[in-house]
Amino acid sequence: MKLRNISFILLFTIVTGVLFSGCKKDDDDETTPAPTPNAVQRFGFHMHSMVGTSAAAYGTTFTDNSGRKFNLADFRFYISNVVLIKDDGSEYPFTNKVILVNPTTNEYDLGDAPVGSYKGFKFILGLDSATNHSDPTTYAASNPLSIQSPSIHWTWNSGYIFMKVEGQVDTTLANTGTPNYDFFYHIGMDMFKRNIDFSTEAFTIVSGSDKEIGLEFDLLEMLSNVDMRTENETHTMNNMPLATKIADNWSSAFTIE
Amino acid sequence: MLINRFSKYCSYTSPFLKRYMKQSIVLVYVSGLLLLTSLSSCQDDSYDEDPGDRIITLDVPTGFPYPVIPEDNQPTLNRIKLGEKLFFDPILSRDNTISCGSCHLTSLKFTDGLAVSIGIDNQHALRNSMTILNTAYQPYFFWDGGVPNLEQQVLAPIENPLEMDFDVNQAVARLQASKEYVDLFLKAYDRSPDVFSLTRAIANYERTLFTGSSKYDSYLYNNNTTALNTSETNGMNIFNGEKGECFHCHNEYNLTDYSFKNNGLYLNYPDSGRARVTLNPSDVGKFKVPSLRNIELTAPYMHDGSMATLEQVVDHYNSGGQPHPNKSGLIKPLGLTAQEKTDLVNFMKALSDK
Repeated sequence: MKLRNISFILLFTIVTGVLFSGCKKDDDDETTPAPTPNAVQRFGFHMHSMVGTSAAAYGTTFTDNSGRKFNLADFRFYISNVVLIKDDGSEYPFTNKVILVNPTTNEYDLGDAPVGSYKGFKFILGLDSATNHSDPTTYAASNPLSIQSPSIHWTWNSGYIFMKVEGQVDTTLANTGTPNYDFFYHIGMDMFKRNIDFSTEAFTIVSGSDKEIGLEFDLLEMLSNVDMRTENETHTMNNMPLATKIADNWSSAFTIE
Repeated sequence: MLINRFSKYCSYTSPFLKRYMKQSIVLVYVSGLLLLTSLSSCQDDSYDEDPGDRIITLDVPTGFPYPVIPEDNQPTLNRIKLGEKLFFDPILSRDNTISCGSCHLTSLKFTDGLAVSIGIDNQHALRNSMTILNTAYQPYFFWDGGVPNLEQQVLAPIENPLEMDFDVNQAVARLQASKEYVDLFLKAYDRSPDVFSLTRAIANYERTLFTGSSKYDSYLYNNNTTALNTSETNGMNIFNGEKGECFHCHNEYNLTDYSFKNNGLYLNYPDSGRARVTLNPSDVGKFKVPSLRNIELTAPYMHDGSMATLEQVVDHYNSGGQPHPNKSGLIKPLGLTAQEKTDLVNFMKALSDK
């Protein structure tokens, strides 16, 4: 065997040996320092869309506050501008992060948040004005701000529908128990965004474990002073009083799980 | 030099390895060169072979400024061609019966001659179809200004249940199923059909539609002092003077200031107009001032198409309209004689393209 070939094999052997011994050393070394604590952890909401004490679901028949039967074909709403409030009062905002809550999804990831103690959190039901009037055609399909099917954006008065609830309700005087009438609550426009405040719901984010806050949104609470038999249509602009009534109930419709 | 430096770091390696490395480096170098050459030649080819990809300058009428065009939708021939095809293709409506061109007919200067447009299932749309000519200059869209740009405007008729009544994502899915469209979209926007490229393509085409070759333009921009006859000239003086005061709203090259005005059409407006999108009571009955270009050819008039002739329109303004609280202060009785009314109508007819 020629000398250069021998030296090549020799080099190969040495390099391989070093590589493998390196691996072995890592595995066996008990003096390796503990991993540095994570500075951040994933943060998100675990959200339940409810109708009273039942989980909201499309096609299921529910009973409203006055004993009328109704079902749901759509029940979605936007949450944005989530802000975590640290113990020292400083704020950690999730900028440009929007979630579209729907009954079939429970997990909503918001992103990384610093490990530490928090006094509470707050968010907006709806969208800030800039986001509300952004161009929906520019978002990737995976972004909740892209054009959804069914649509949750007004194309004739550019802006998003913050809360969209549709279905059928029994509007018969006799209350026959069969949902017969299409109802729709479409609430949007800048003035209808609502601040949802949980600034005194303290929590901590611990290194090594992702943080989820459990939230419930109750449709019946949102409709607590709404008579679904007579108050069953608002596109916001065509029925401002009803839109206002519903939006004003958003805050109380949320509870921490 | 690279090889030398590499050899220095590998000084302990065998001559065989060195030679092997040298060979590989030469090989990598050569393949890199080949790759670069092929890439650059591809690029050259695409420019040479497809002038349709080049950004073009739009042919703007004399006296008009060049319109502001979004960076992400500069005009190219491929984009314009695709947009034109989409504009006249009923594929964007739920039952494949209505296209943009159904309510914006080229023969009627991109209007439809109806009081309000007829959409899917023979339904009546809400308002009168506006022309798309000179749309590149519109600062916002529709009679109430509810949409801020031309690209987003494209979504509205597709999703309007009275017009095309279709889910835009499903419209995109239809386009994706068409090999012809996929190829055209790739050529025009370098991406397959999606909501972004669909809206951009139609807007790109619409921005090429201009009007600006009327007798009045000859008079105004070509210094042709004999372009207007006596009656038309008298009408122009009423229009642009204290007598008619029309110019306050219908001015500049597109004969509109794009403001929202209540022109005293009704005491009670069934259609609240601008207030529909602003919710502001002081906007009730206000509609966007339309361009008067080709006005003779785009009857009927007003947001609801309630006036069939220009004579009726002049009679309305001459009367001062209904005393609505939001009515523009400029709308008041004008006291025009029969001849002056005729002159005003004749002037408006001189606003049609030759």
